[in-house]
Amino acid sequence: MDRSGLARAAAGTTSGAGFAQDADDRFEIVVQLLHDVRKERRTIHVTAPGDPPAMPSVAEVWPTADFMEREAFDLFGIRFDGHPNLTRILMPDDWEGHPLRKDYGVGKVPVEFVPQPFLQIDAPGQAPEKVEAGRDVDRLGQSGPGERVWPEEDREQA
Amino acid sequence: MNTQTIAEIEAVGKGAYVESADENRMVLNMGPVHPATHGVLRLLVELDGETVVHCKPIIGYLHTGMEKECEDQNWRSAVTIVTRMDYLAPLFNEQAYSLAVESLLGVEVPRRGQFIRTLMAEMNRLSSHLVWFGTQGLDMGAISVVFYGFREREIIIDFYEMVTGLRMNHGYIIPGGVWQDLPDGWEPVCRNIVATMRSRIDEYEELLSLNPIFLERTTGVGVLSPEDAEAAGATGPIARASGIDWDIRRDMPYEIYDELEFDVPVADAGDVYARYKVRMQEMRESCGILEQVIDQMPSGDYKSMDPKLTPPSRSELNRSMEAVIHHFKLVTQGYTVPAGEIYTAVESPRGELGVMAISDGGTSPYRLHVRDPSFVNLQALPAMATGGLVADLIASIASIDPVMGGVDR
Repeated sequence: MDRSGLARAAAGTTSGAGFAQDADDRFEIVVQLLHDVRKERRTIHVTAPGDPPAMPSVAEVWPTADFMEREAFDLFGIRFDGHPNLTRILMPDDWEGHPLRKDYGVGKVPVEFVPQPFLQIDAPGQAPEKVEAGRDVDRLGQSGPGERVWPEEDREQA
Repeated sequence: MNTQTIAEIEAVGKGAYVESADENRMVLNMGPVHPATHGVLRLLVELDGETVVHCKPIIGYLHTGMEKECEDQNWRSAVTIVTRMDYLAPLFNEQAYSLAVESLLGVEVPRRGQFIRTLMAEMNRLSSHLVWFGTQGLDMGAISVVFYGFREREIIIDFYEMVTGLRMNHGYIIPGGVWQDLPDGWEPVCRNIVATMRSRIDEYEELLSLNPIFLERTTGVGVLSPEDAEAAGATGPIARASGIDWDIRRDMPYEIYDELEFDVPVADAGDVYARYKVRMQEMRESCGILEQVIDQMPSGDYKSMDPKLTPPSRSELNRSMEAVIHHFKLVTQGYTVPAGEIYTAVESPRGELGVMAISDGGTSPYRLHVRDPSFVNLQALPAMATGGLVADLIASIASIDPVMGGVDR
């Protein structure tokens, strides 16, 4: 195969995709190759098994994959064996978690029309608890219906 | 005595170090906030005297998680996110994204829509190259050209405002076509822009092309061999200035580019001056394309009239219950896109801008990856800078023309 042409994986988009959770084929790497003489594109799909997911690096064959693999490592946590410098590229070095995974929340707060102090988000990246409106009276620190009684003095006045 | 090199500094994750490994070595931290780094690009540079031994780009300072955010939008509203990636060429982001969604949907854009898209895209190529022209000159000490560049860019941006309502981040090209037809009186404005640009480009070339200081600063500087360009995956003017004759518009045409006549300028030197020449010639070619598009602009629909994709018109809402239902569904939920994945690419002013879209059959993208040309082209910077002077590194950065919004996304 004419590698010099394909080496313009230039076009190469190494893109990670997170699929169904906790399956062994949860992560898939997609490599786009471009042959600039034949004017063709080819797509390679590789699943990254294991936890943490790992697969061999292609940065030695196509150096352009260097940044792209670092990006996939950063955002999906996929280890590329044999990569020269597999470090975070977009997120800070001390960041915890891999933001593009499906179990990583976007940090939005559900909009409700009653104040709900228990819906605070402690840290970015933490998926908010799903709360159905009006079902969490106990968590607001009040007792449920039927248990609450008037205080003595109020009753006397009544 | 501190004997740290880039690798060691990286290992402990520290910032700027100005201690030497031996007598003449110095590790210098350039950026992330520096006018010559075009945004928030940070470079760790290892110097021997004034010669660059190693150069390492560090990015991510503008990362805002746009790809993740797209997964939270419906297919129509994700346009407003992708347009903010490469903010100097927003229409190309929209175009690449829309082409991807249309391929998944199997929708064909009406001819007028395709012409309007091409018109806007080539205008955008001009305005983006004008910013490059200004900043390249500015970084080389030719302060006047930045005023020339931005003056002409303003005319084009006024045209965007006239058509899309916004100067930047238009959200104008949408899956199915463009969201609004061209306004009355667009043609004289376009012809005026093309005529102005044609004469102004000659003026620019008079300013810089034979300017001895500019020549001294750019010829033989930041040389990128074709092999290095290929290894780094460089595309666009950078690859073409290194002798790689590749332009997606000509070689894998999309929209109406196979009907248009234009040349793809190529240079062999691979230095900053060659990239300058290629971009200047590209602007002339864009003017030629614009003239053809204006002459041949057809009439008809400007967006797909598929009721499952485009909301009904106001008048139809008044008389058809079915139209009301369609409108309600499109506004509250959005359209669904058949499950599948697609990679489409367009030739942006910086190179190949690709969008990889994966759909699970729902109303929002399951995964959207953007291959931004600036992100990949930055990998060519170490090859350009190594062995040169620090001042030449500045010339190389300017000639790559990175847009950090696209690099970090």
